Amino acid sequence: MEKLGYLLLAGVTNGSVYGLVGLSLSIIYGSSRVINFAQGDFVMLGAMSAVAFVATAALPWPLAIAGTVAGASIVALALDYVVYRPLARRKAPPLTIMMGTLGAAIAIYGAALLAWGPDQQFVPALFSLDPMNLGPLVTNSQQLAIIGAFAMFLAVTWFTLFRTRLGLSIRATGVNPRVALLMGIRSERIVQFSFLFSALISSVSGILVGPLLGGQIGMGLLLTVKGFMAAILGGLGSPFAAAAGGVAIGMLEALMAGYGTSLYAEPAIFLIILLLLFVRPYGLLGDYEAQKR
Amino acid sequence: MSAIFSPPRQASIYPALAVLALGAALPYLLHGGFQLRLAMLVWIYAILCMGFNLLYGYAGQISLGQQTFFAIGAYAFALLQLDLHWPAALAFIGSLIVCAVVALALGVPLLRLRSHYLAMATLAFALIFYGVTTRWIDFTGGSSGLAAPPLKFAGAPLGRMAVYYLVLAFAGVALLLHDFVARGAIGRALQAIRDDEIGAAALGVDVIRYKLRVFVLAAVFAGMAGVAFTIVSLRVDPSMSEFHVLVTILTIAVVGGLGSRFGALLGAAVVIVLPQTLVRFGDLETLIYGVFIVVFLVFLPNGLAGLPDRETWRGVATFLKMNRGRS
Repeated sequence: MEKLGYLLLAGVTNGSVYGLVGLSLSIIYGSSRVINFAQGDFVMLGAMSAVAFVATAALPWPLAIAGTVAGASIVALALDYVVYRPLARRKAPPLTIMMGTLGAAIAIYGAALLAWGPDQQFVPALFSLDPMNLGPLVTNSQQLAIIGAFAMFLAVTWFTLFRTRLGLSIRATGVNPRVALLMGIRSERIVQFSFLFSALISSVSGILVGPLLGGQIGMGLLLTVKGFMAAILGGLGSPFAAAAGGVAIGMLEALMAGYGTSLYAEPAIFLIILLLLFVRPYGLLGDYEAQKR
Repeated sequence: MSAIFSPPRQASIYPALAVLALGAALPYLLHGGFQLRLAMLVWIYAILCMGFNLLYGYAGQISLGQQTFFAIGAYAFALLQLDLHWPAALAFIGSLIVCAVVALALGVPLLRLRSHYLAMATLAFALIFYGVTTRWIDFTGGSSGLAAPPLKFAGAPLGRMAVYYLVLAFAGVALLLHDFVARGAIGRALQAIRDDEIGAAALGVDVIRYKLRVFVLAAVFAGMAGVAFTIVSLRVDPSMSEFHVLVTILTIAVVGGLGSRFGALLGAAVVIVLPQTLVRFGDLETLIYGVFIVVFLVFLPNGLAGLPDRETWRGVATFLKMNRGRS
């Protein structure tokens, strides 16, 4: 029983990170129909910036967080101006733009390789890593902070999308960018906002998850893939389905490692996702999107 | 002469033959084993990318799993020889069949998926394969891989030149096949599918069958490249299916020009040779690959193969003008 509780907690923690990446991907997809293959690299940038600002430059945490978010925002703006806009204005198909973001992901990885080298680095923890008891469970505050951040970002996203004028514009752009443009919504600005917002979410989750996963510049790709799978498992259409998909993948992973074979846990997860796509080509909650085609 | 009224250029087989003639003369123009090995690598990656070009450039079906078929071909070639003691020629055919069968089994359910979902599913397949090959040590040799037996002719191992011409023969078959598909009715059917599936179906193109065919064909190309790689390097290991191979494939495809007849070849020549010629490129390589992909996608969507087209330059001019207007 205790093992189950421990596994579930670990699963929810990892799942929160996957969910946050999935949420980020889904927000961008919602406004631009593009999967941003560089999204996981924002998590990597978050974790590695924490190394740079806190461990190397010895800055206090508030400044380090501000610096990290600022850095991620600059990269997000570059992604928008250099990759998304020129391609979108040329009316390139979404898949071509995805190739562009993949190119950007490779470029970010390459730049990070120059900056930090290929080795795994110790990421300083924002909260304490000391074990603490939560009822029968042993956890630490960093883990709880990740789950807390997950809940907070979900709430912020929901509020932004459904309770503000900006959110209305975002949803309108998602339904039909051209009509939204005719209604006076600057679609390009909306896409830019979604890139920035996603970069914020991903880099903050990078700061939080860095101490648990360890900072390594190659971590971005796997996180993109897991986030992508989360979004697809849930269905790309809704950010909340994507977030739920992330938690599901995290739990599945933890249970598989705990009760099944830990050696083959990772390929087995991918196999499950692949089989799921055989049966439901648009994801578990993807009916909405299937109908729209 | 205005572009609109000029008749479509007659696609001929001569350019492909000229390329092969150049390939045959190449060993006499190069110096030393290293340059010859590089030339072989160019041909191998060209084969791999020609398959990807047919699949994505012509038919518009993305696969992020081509590097896996590259590795499957190589593993099948090595294992059929090592475990079943098949002769090399038989193992070559066997490994191509293995690739085709895997692609068929995967393609039937997967090709219903579109764009992002297809990309994800093929990537999941690639990650499963990589995960299993690194872990199933008894069968695949784990991450250290397997040593493949060298090719022998009349008892003696093949010399370097013979291996080069063997690889060139593979590339020749691939090139002619690619060219045949690209310039004929099949190529036009694939392009129709890429541009509008429903429209293509309305014109009598059997969309599902063509998609499946091109998926299997691309996998066989990749498998052939894998066999060639095994013959050259005498090793098979999981790194062949790693992400960086996919990155190289994508870079070559984009730099060379997607959906063009000789883009894969041009791209392979540039992307494989360029890093070798610049000293101390090492750590910069990944960054440059990424920048290349972005720059070519944005400025030269038709890649190097599209450079002679006037369209390209008009596109660049429009892009520059547009940005001046809006900023």
